Order: sequence, then structure tokens, then C-alpha cells
Amino acid sequence: MGAGLFNLRNLRRLSQALFLLLFLYLFLQTESKGFDELGYPVKVFLDFDPLIFLSTLLSSKSIIKLFYLSLITIILTIILGRVFCGWVCPLGTLNNMVSILRKKKTEPYRLGAFRVKYYILLFLLASSVLGLQFSGLLDPLSLLIRSLSISIYPAFNYGASAFFDSIFSLQVKGITEVSESLYSIIKKTLLAFDQPFYRQGLFIGIIFLTVLGLNLYERRFWCRYLCPLGALLGILSKYSILKKTIGEGCNSCGVCEKNCPGGSINSSGGWLQAECFHCFNCDDLCPQGAIRSGFFKERGSFIDLNRRQVLISMAAGVITVPFIKINPFSKEEFINPHLIRPPGALEEKEFLKRCVRCGECMKVCITNGLQPALLDGGIEALWTPVLVPKLGYCEYRCTLCGQVCPTGAIKRLTLDEKKKIRIGLAMIDKGRCLPWAHATPCIVCEEVCPTPKKAIWLERVSVRNRDGMVVELQQPHIDLELCIGCGICEARCPLVDRPAIYVTNIGETRSGINQLLL
Amino acid sequence: MNRREFVRLTAAGIAGLKMGAFAQMVMAREIPDLAVVEGSSHSKITELAIDALGGIRSFISRGDIVVIKPNMAWDRTPEQAANTNPVVVATVVRLCLEAGAKKVRVFDRTVNDPRRCYVQSGIMEAAKKEGAEVIYVDHRRFKEMTINGEAIKTWPLYTEVFEADRVINIPIAKHHSLAKLTMAMKNWMGIMGGSRRQIHQRLDESLADLAMIVKPTLTILDATRILLRNGPQGGNPEDVKVLNTVIAGIDQVAVDSYGATLFGMKGEDLGYVRTAAQRGMGKMDLSKILIRKIKL
Repeated sequence: MGAGLFNLRNLRRLSQALFLLLFLYLFLQTESKGFDELGYPVKVFLDFDPLIFLSTLLSSKSIIKLFYLSLITIILTIILGRVFCGWVCPLGTLNNMVSILRKKKTEPYRLGAFRVKYYILLFLLASSVLGLQFSGLLDPLSLLIRSLSISIYPAFNYGASAFFDSIFSLQVKGITEVSESLYSIIKKTLLAFDQPFYRQGLFIGIIFLTVLGLNLYERRFWCRYLCPLGALLGILSKYSILKKTIGEGCNSCGVCEKNCPGGSINSSGGWLQAECFHCFNCDDLCPQGAIRSGFFKERGSFIDLNRRQVLISMAAGVITVPFIKINPFSKEEFINPHLIRPPGALEEKEFLKRCVRCGECMKVCITNGLQPALLDGGIEALWTPVLVPKLGYCEYRCTLCGQVCPTGAIKRLTLDEKKKIRIGLAMIDKGRCLPWAHATPCIVCEEVCPTPKKAIWLERVSVRNRDGMVVELQQPHIDLELCIGCGICEARCPLVDRPAIYVTNIGETRSGINQLLL
Repeated sequence: MNRREFVRLTAAGIAGLKMGAFAQMVMAREIPDLAVVEGSSHSKITELAIDALGGIRSFISRGDIVVIKPNMAWDRTPEQAANTNPVVVATVVRLCLEAGAKKVRVFDRTVNDPRRCYVQSGIMEAAKKEGAEVIYVDHRRFKEMTINGEAIKTWPLYTEVFEADRVINIPIAKHHSLAKLTMAMKNWMGIMGGSRRQIHQRLDESLADLAMIVKPTLTILDATRILLRNGPQGGNPEDVKVLNTVIAGIDQVAVDSYGATLFGMKGEDLGYVRTAAQRGMGKMDLSKILIRKIKL
């Protein structure tokens, strides 16, 4: 068996390659091309993700339409088992690829360790019932998109650009021309329009590389022991009809065990149904042809979840919530003024119940202004998107973040709706502003203010400079009714270190309490 | 000579005669300093304005690399009159290529996100359709250049402008709260790198300084739609006035001086026009130049 090219194992590899390429393609497409709509369903992988679906359902207590696609994954798993892990999951495929680098040796058969991922799943689901949405931190698709967006892709982009820049700056005849034409192709297809910069890029990158690195210790370590989505699919696969049998010819040679990425089969004849990715390594490689896949009646065995551990992990999930909630940010009036949320973001409590921290909004943000929060809104808001106007303002006619949000934490807005949403208000630091404090003309904030009737207006005044000379200039003021807090004034203020005009989230449309006007 | 050759030669002769007569007719009239053409076809008025100055061939030679600098700094659509009319830009691209230009490059250092500005202005699509290379500004191609002006001594400027054989400036006429109006001279802010926002502290001198080293072959001021208030971005259709006019000229000071009249102002009301005229960089006094007005 398995001698031909067209065996199931190679078919599986082809499927993995295609899904990984599709994923990476859609990832690269999660970038503005200048049009109002993005064009490609970039979040489609998350739409198929039942863990995101289930945890969002539990935490927000509402059904999100788009997630009906995840029912397909659920039904597929109920019939065929964890084929998603073996044939589709892009993180699984990356883990597979890194696993190849590992020195071949017999896998230990760690029954106990398999259980960990189920406990993680139960912890996450139990805490989501109480409104804590942490599943996105460990969901494999969310983790992958976030890591690529915030860390791996920016680093790749930086490295590639630096390489071509250095050749460009050398200006060697012949070589520079070749590298420049190569660069223009790569720039159009693979590289970002502008170099992205993110806070915590290194931190998030280290976590991701650790996940990949664990494969060197044990093949598909993450998928076997940690992945909560894998655990959910494992539970769903309990009644799947696609099964393995080990027939009479087995001489316990151990080939199957050595080559099983999920650690689900062992040479003593056991097969763990919920741990099997249906990669078809075992039946294609078995020298005796003793292993067969098919739709059999007899069930494989399951790892018994320790009842006590189940209760403990669920209880831990439940107990964790209040400990996280007792930080001051849970108080309505305790507001971090710099926690500027993207336009269309739900009210903070609802927002946190839905945001899965996948990082798509940050990837797509046209100015690179959306950044992952660290403790800006408490640990509960870890890696949620925050606008940092100094890094990038909110483009007036852009609605991309709402278009890519998989859970509706950021609402999808029409252009007209977007223009009316206030994410904060600008204030002027009169002690630093050139026309206010230094008798020097400047109107940049007014010039760039995007509202049709400008929210920044200028008052013509005469002031005296040090020599007693009268200088005619215009001093900026802010119309609190018109300002939407987009932050382009802050981003473009000539005082680049600490802008003399800056946005905080006071007045944000989504909040009932964070208001200043009657 | 067979019959076919005879017919062909005769036809060519007649055509040549006609062309010659037309050229004579044009040459007979003095070429004006400014051509002001009004009409509802924005492509036709652009073409006529250039024709009135002697035709595109008097500006573009075969094999030229041409840089066209429209104003497309803002994420706005054409009817909002914040960016140059794409039809005007595309027409100039077409004429340049018809005149044998090797390459026509179009770019601007935008204020809003470049991708949105290029697309939403409609300029990228329109110019590409006519065969232009519409390129995004590459930060590596700014080079610190000596200006030795009154306000600006050196500044990083976009090298492609200086490497090109011909440069055509196609600004739009708009309100601006500090410059009062932004037209031809102020459009050169779009080739400035670095922290160009600082030049607002001495805007008039800075713009005149900049115009000392950027000398376009031709300037075409787009006044098909002008922006009266809330410039330079606008956004409110009530602030837009449709004039269906383009103004073409070689002297950018004269172009700006004439442009001021569209808003009920005079050239001398604009500090940078005044400064540039005082430095002898162009003519501000409209009574001393020849203006040809054509109405379609």
C-alpha cells in the first residue's frame, strides 16, 4: 500500500499545501488596495472555526450570523473526525513542516498529556460563559493570524526591504537593476505597502516561534497537547464513522507509531479516535498492510478525561473570571483616555466579550494605527486593538477594520455611518502649539481635518513676539460637535515628539458615560 | 508610377497642404502667455488650451521621459474638487504619448493614505488607461537638494522630477486657510520629502523658494471644479463651484495670478505669488501678459 503517487497520504499533503497557500494568500489580501471594499473574504478561515463560534456564543449570548459556516466544520468532524487538523488547519500544517526537522525517534506515548488540551478547552469555555473571551488567545487560527500580522510578516517585510535597500544604496551597475526589478515584483506580490510596526511584535513572535519550536521536542506538540480547537474537534469526533482497524498481520514493528503525527496509534494495537488527524500515514506506511481506514462499526478508544480534572479545569475557568474582573477598568467611570477603540467597536464590555484578538483589524488598518493592547485596558483587554494616533490616524473614509472583524466586535459600517462615529476628541495643548504659545504661524491640524465642515477652526489674532512686533496669525480651536477623534491632527502636528493637539477617547459614540457635553 | 502610388501621393499632398495651411494660420497668431479655455468637455478644453500655446509638440519631443504632477493628495472623489480632475490628467498623458514621449510618469506625495488617494481621485485608473506609469512615491528616491532660498536652504526632494526630460504641473484651484489659495506653486509641496508640515511657518517664502528650483515645462491649472471653502480637502458639495475651465501657461506665477481671479482675488493677494513676482520668477500683473480666452 502507499507505493503509488496517488495515495491518500499524498492527497492529504496536497490538501494541506493548498489550504496553507489559500490562507497565506488571503492573509496577504488583508490589505487595502485603495478601494472602499476589501474584495476577498479574508476572515473566512475564522468563519469556519467552531471554537470561535462556541466561545463567542457563550460569552456574548448572541448568535453571529456568519458563524453558520462553522457548522460545516462541526458536521464534517462529526462524520469524519479531526480531518480539519490533518488536512486543513494552516497552523497544523506549519507544525507538520517544522516536525520534519526533528530527529527521528520513537514517540513516547503520553496518555496523560493528551488530556491537557481538553482541560484548556474546558477552562476557556467555562470562563466564556461568564463573559471572558480568552479563547482567541489560544485558538490556532486566531493565534496564527495574530502572530503573522503583528510579528512574523512585519519582520519578514523588514528583512526583505532592508536587503533590497542596501543593494539599491550601493548603486552597482547591473546588480542594482536586477535587484530593483526583482524588488518591484516582490513588493507588488508579497511585501506590505508600508513597513508595518507593532508594539509587542517581539513578544508575540516569541510565543509563536515557541509553538513552532515545540515540534522539535515532539511532533505536532501543540496539536497533540495544547490546541483547544483540536480538543473541541476531538470531542466532536467521538461518533465519527471514519475509523482505523489494525488487522491480524500486525507484527508490532512500530512504523505506524513512529509516523503518527497525532500520537493516536501504537504498535500494541491501540487507536485513539479523538487524537487521530486522519493523515493516512499509518495505513500507507504499514509494511504488513495490517492497518485499514474505513467506515467501520467498532469504535476506537478514548482518553478518559479524569472527572476530577474536568471539574477542576471548569472551576478554574469560572474562578478566574472574577479575579480578572476585579481590576479598576471594570468600573465604568475608570477610563484609560488612550484606549481609543476602532470606529464601530461595541461598548467596551460587549466589545471584550466578542474580540478574539485575531489581529485582522490591525493587519488591515491602513495607517498602521491600530495596535495590540498590553495592559491599556486591563489584562482582560490583552491584544485587543487600540488606536495610537501618533503611529497612525483613523482614515476618514476607511471602513476596513469592521469588514474583517470575524465576531462583530467591530461593527461593519457604511461610509456614511463611519463618518458620524466619534472615537474620541482632540484637545489642544496651548502651551506647546506654535500659534498659541510661540507666535508662529501653523495651520496643519486645520488643513488635514477631514470633516466637510472642519472640526478645527481658526481664529485670526494679532500677537506680539519677543521683539514687540505684532504678528498676525491664526489660532486653532476645536468644535466638539464636529470632531470625530480620527487623530490625523495629532499624527500630522509638526511637534512630532509630543503633539500639541492630541486625541483621547472622551466623547466616544459607543460609551454612555465617557461624555463631556450635556 | 502606377495608379495606386499616384492616388496615395496625391492624398498625402492634399493632407500636407491642409496641415501646412492650418499651421500657418496658427503661427500667424502670436502665442499667448496664458490660454483660458471653457467648455463642458474637460478633455477637449485641455487639448485646446495646449494647442493655443503652440500644441503639445512644442513642449514634448520624441523619446522624452515626462513627469506629470497632479494634485492627488486627498482621499476624495473627483466631484469633491480636492484633487485634480482625472480627465484633465488623462488627456495630458494621452497628448504626451501621442507626441512621442517614451514614458509618462504620474505621482504625488499624498497627505492621506496613498492607495486611497490614487484610487479615489480616479487619477490612477484614468492615467493608466492612457498609458501612463502611475507610481507610488518611493521613500528611497528623495534626495537632500540645495535650494538656498529665503526660508528653505536644503530639502529632500523627489529625484524623478529632476531626472525627467519634461515636467508638467497639473494642479487644481482650491481654497487654503493659510495660503488662501492653493494652485500651481503650492502643488510642488507634493514632491517634498521629510517633515514638510514645517514650511507652513513661513509658507509664502518657502513656496517661492521651491518654485525657484522646480521649473515645469508647462502648467495646466484645473478649474473645471474649484473648491471655495473648507479647503484643501473639502468634502461638502456646496463648497464646489463648477467652472469647466482650464488655464494653461508656461509661467507658473502668471497661472496662479490668473487663478486668483477665479475666486474674486488678485495675484497680489497671495503672498507667494507676490514674493515670486518680486524675485522676478514670473509675471503677476495680468495686464502685461497676453491671455487668450476660448469658449467652446
